[in-house]
Amino acid sequence: MSAPLVTRQDEFLKTDELFINLGPQHPSTHGVLRVGLTVKGEVIVKAVPDVGYLHRGTEKLSEVRGYHHCVVLTDRWDYVAAMPNNLVFCLAAEKLMNLQVPERANYLRTIMCELNRIASHLLFFGTYGIDIGAFTPFLYAFREREMVLDLFEMACGARLTYNYIRLGGVMSDITPEWTSKTREFLDYFKARLEEYDSLLTYNPIFQDRTKTVGLVSADQAIAWGLSGPNLRASGVDYDARKFEPYAAYDKVRFEVPLGKGGSCFDRYFCRVREMGESVRIVEQCLDQMKEGEFMAKGVAKVPKPQPGEAYAHVEGARGNLGIYLVSDGGQSPYRMHVRAPSFINLAILQEILEGKKVADVIAILGSIDIVLGEVDR
Amino acid sequence: MSAPKNPADKHAASNGSSAKVPPAAAVVPPAPAAPAKPAPKPKVEIKEPVFNPAYKGALLTHDRYWPTQRWKAPWSLRSYRRGALALGALLLGAFGLTAAVGELAPWGALLQSAVSGLLSSSFAASGVWILLKVLVVLHIILVAPIFLVWWERKISAHIQSRLGPMTVGGWHGWLQTVADGIKLLFKEDITPIAADRWVHRLAPVIVVIPAILAFAPISFGRELAAADIDVGVLYIFAVAGVSVIGIVMAGWASGNKYSLLGGLRSAAQLVSYELPRSFSIVPVLMFAGSLNLTRIADSQAGYWFGVIPRWYIFYPVVGQISFLIFLIASVAETNRVPFDIPEAESELVAGFHTEFSGMKFSLFFLAEYAYVLLASCLTAAFFMGGGGSPLPWAPWTWIPSWAWFLAKTLGIVFCFLWFRWTFPRFRVDRLMDFNWKFLLPWSFVNIALASIYLLI
Amino acid sequence: MNAEELLSRLGAQFAGIEKTSVAVKDYPTVRLSDPSALGAVFSWLKKQGFEYLDMITAVDYKGPVSPKGYVMDPNPNAFLPEGATPQVEAPTATPGFPYREAIELVYCASHLKGKLKLFLKVELPRQNPSAPSLAGLFKTADWQEREVFDLLGVRFEGHPNLTKILTPDFIQGHPLRKDYEHVPDRFDR
Repeated sequence: MSAPLVTRQDEFLKTDELFINLGPQHPSTHGVLRVGLTVKGEVIVKAVPDVGYLHRGTEKLSEVRGYHHCVVLTDRWDYVAAMPNNLVFCLAAEKLMNLQVPERANYLRTIMCELNRIASHLLFFGTYGIDIGAFTPFLYAFREREMVLDLFEMACGARLTYNYIRLGGVMSDITPEWTSKTREFLDYFKARLEEYDSLLTYNPIFQDRTKTVGLVSADQAIAWGLSGPNLRASGVDYDARKFEPYAAYDKVRFEVPLGKGGSCFDRYFCRVREMGESVRIVEQCLDQMKEGEFMAKGVAKVPKPQPGEAYAHVEGARGNLGIYLVSDGGQSPYRMHVRAPSFINLAILQEILEGKKVADVIAILGSIDIVLGEVDR
Repeated sequence: MSAPKNPADKHAASNGSSAKVPPAAAVVPPAPAAPAKPAPKPKVEIKEPVFNPAYKGALLTHDRYWPTQRWKAPWSLRSYRRGALALGALLLGAFGLTAAVGELAPWGALLQSAVSGLLSSSFAASGVWILLKVLVVLHIILVAPIFLVWWERKISAHIQSRLGPMTVGGWHGWLQTVADGIKLLFKEDITPIAADRWVHRLAPVIVVIPAILAFAPISFGRELAAADIDVGVLYIFAVAGVSVIGIVMAGWASGNKYSLLGGLRSAAQLVSYELPRSFSIVPVLMFAGSLNLTRIADSQAGYWFGVIPRWYIFYPVVGQISFLIFLIASVAETNRVPFDIPEAESELVAGFHTEFSGMKFSLFFLAEYAYVLLASCLTAAFFMGGGGSPLPWAPWTWIPSWAWFLAKTLGIVFCFLWFRWTFPRFRVDRLMDFNWKFLLPWSFVNIALASIYLLI
Repeated sequence: MNAEELLSRLGAQFAGIEKTSVAVKDYPTVRLSDPSALGAVFSWLKKQGFEYLDMITAVDYKGPVSPKGYVMDPNPNAFLPEGATPQVEAPTATPGFPYREAIELVYCASHLKGKLKLFLKVELPRQNPSAPSLAGLFKTADWQEREVFDLLGVRFEGHPNLTKILTPDFIQGHPLRKDYEHVPDRFDR
């Protein structure tokens, strides 16, 4: 009765803003992330990342577990590169307990973290290629990643969640066979890095799609608290391995690749170059490592550190991973907070996606390289 | 598991079974219900795990799969040597088989004379002959994707350092496509409610039929054209352009706006890239002096200095530019990577063929491979002397013309498949830029160069 | 500049700053007595070169966490047989530790060139804790303050979008508080 007899034609064509959900299930293999995009035509007006789909409450769980048990929880944050997670917790707990780690254990920790950095950046390389549309580099990257995971399986028995770096040192020693296999892998991998360059890095189509998008200036990066290759791509030289060297990083020589413009291509390029630097670090560690203990003596089965607080930070594969640990003298940590780099890096998506085209969303999201286990903890 | 377990409960239960209180007589009042001191917990022995010392530090089975040996010394691997031998045997077998069969044109003439001998009226005889030719061409197009899809899967797998289909049909999964085709036949044919039913049914048909029709004037060797049309080239391009309507219909009939936009984008891409494709052929037509495909192929016979064949691809600058532009534009025409925006991204959903399932989807698939084959046949005919042998000497001339045509076509098809798995994807606006600001101007320059060439 | 110089300059500039008794190991730590001065302190720090805000977190000092309602099985080691003593018992209060009805906010700012990190603590009452937001000064504070609000219930004045970020919408309460009791929802068995 009140409906008009004649409807105007353009009432059906709503040309104002459209809300699209990117996720939580989408083809890019980043995990359960939902980005609510408000789109006007091709241009994004507002982007709201919605996290929390993988929140498991590890900070609360750690309050009822002993320190050794918490190391197992740490594996599950950045599950792609789990060794630095273990390491950062062990560093914080060792600070609390005033525990000295033997030198061989430090070298082993460094080797494992750098191998894990190679594995994580290989995964980034492969999945970023798929995001951009090149399907082959993914399989090459995973062929090499399988070799790294085989090395980890040989050392500690696990491929993804290692629990290898323990309080006071590492879980077990490596054999000469492992060392020779690692050297074999490193020799092979150096040739592969050149191949990856020719496949993606110098490809004009790839450069065309990534060099002009996702620009983040240095001030913007510092204001948003970015870390890792995201920050270094904008030209800011902040690497936890050089800021406050831990494990054996002060004994090896390596460089930290810096980018210039802060575009997606710079972030990608920093990571690819970091793989080469990791190879150098592992080689130097294998050369310099001497025989010795791999675990400190006198680590209690159920440690009860003195009341106090400690903060430790490492350069994880995703950025600056930190742990703030408060102990009240009991068997479990009183409070553990994880300064998760992926969580903080992801926040910049709200600002950086405004005004971009829909086709660039995947490229930008892929270049920030998040892992949802770390975002949600 | 429903109620939170309390460790005290467990100990109370075990206490009850191993109670230390001796069974007292009924006279003695029983001990208080809760004992003053909790009974000692039963000692449960926790055994340290023992790992098999044989495994300590060893790499279990994965060592075999490390590619380091294949990288350092490939010929030391038995599988490598066997693969090379198998490839050599295959090529030699193909050579011998094709040389034994010989030219097909005489057999065709024999068949035609048999048909006209059987049937008295020449009208009926020519009718039956045309029907036979149509059936042959149709079967070529319908059977070719069976091989092409298998080949694509194998090539893509080996480029990606994996194996591809291995099981179906026994030897390296050569019947895989047949199995997939049967599966697609059995799939449920879903039409979305918001879709336009008749358009939804017609779209795949309108995409596929021109693909089949376009093969008519192509000569598959010497005198092996189904329809020797004088305006063959024009016919092919005109007919192939009709498919664009089918794609727009597919996008429209899906009933969702993302598919519609994908279909329109694809249509824009296809129509735009038809221009450099056609203009890059103009120098070839100028050199050949005819639009007839057979005559274009024949004008490339002969050899320079007795060694180099007079193929248009070898003409100094013009031939190479024409070939490259034609190849790139053909890749764009067939919606393949690096130009596959309509299939891959298109507003974050699949594209114009999202809502088609079962046989309709397989028709789109068929059309894509038919167009790939068409583009390769055209490249072989225009630029590589379709049917002519590259060298004028003994073993090469034993191979008949249809085998040479097939080999050249498959070589170009290999290029198509190769590009798909090597290059990343163009972004939509860059794709259009590439066409209008690069390919098209260069095709015009090419025509100018060709005319200078002809003057000299 | 080094740690002592920084601490002395801070103490000279702001009255409410004092060196804290419980320092984060090996890092200069200060305690701010007045939460409302946070904005002023951090803008001064930012001008001094501490542009990088590492971390915003909070600790609830009420007492040992009560596992009631959220911990189903206190024996977290699946390899121990039934009836074995759990290796780690439920948390109990350590005598001598200063438990109090307070939530302490912990901030960490870095001076990238000078390779210096500064920790700053502010204590808030446990009932309706609120502090000024740093989202205007450091954009990274946006999500970290949302996380602290979500998990511990600290309200940040002036925050553009203070909503839940990590926990699902049906979780009531603030999970990281020591007296959090989980309200069973449709996912609990």
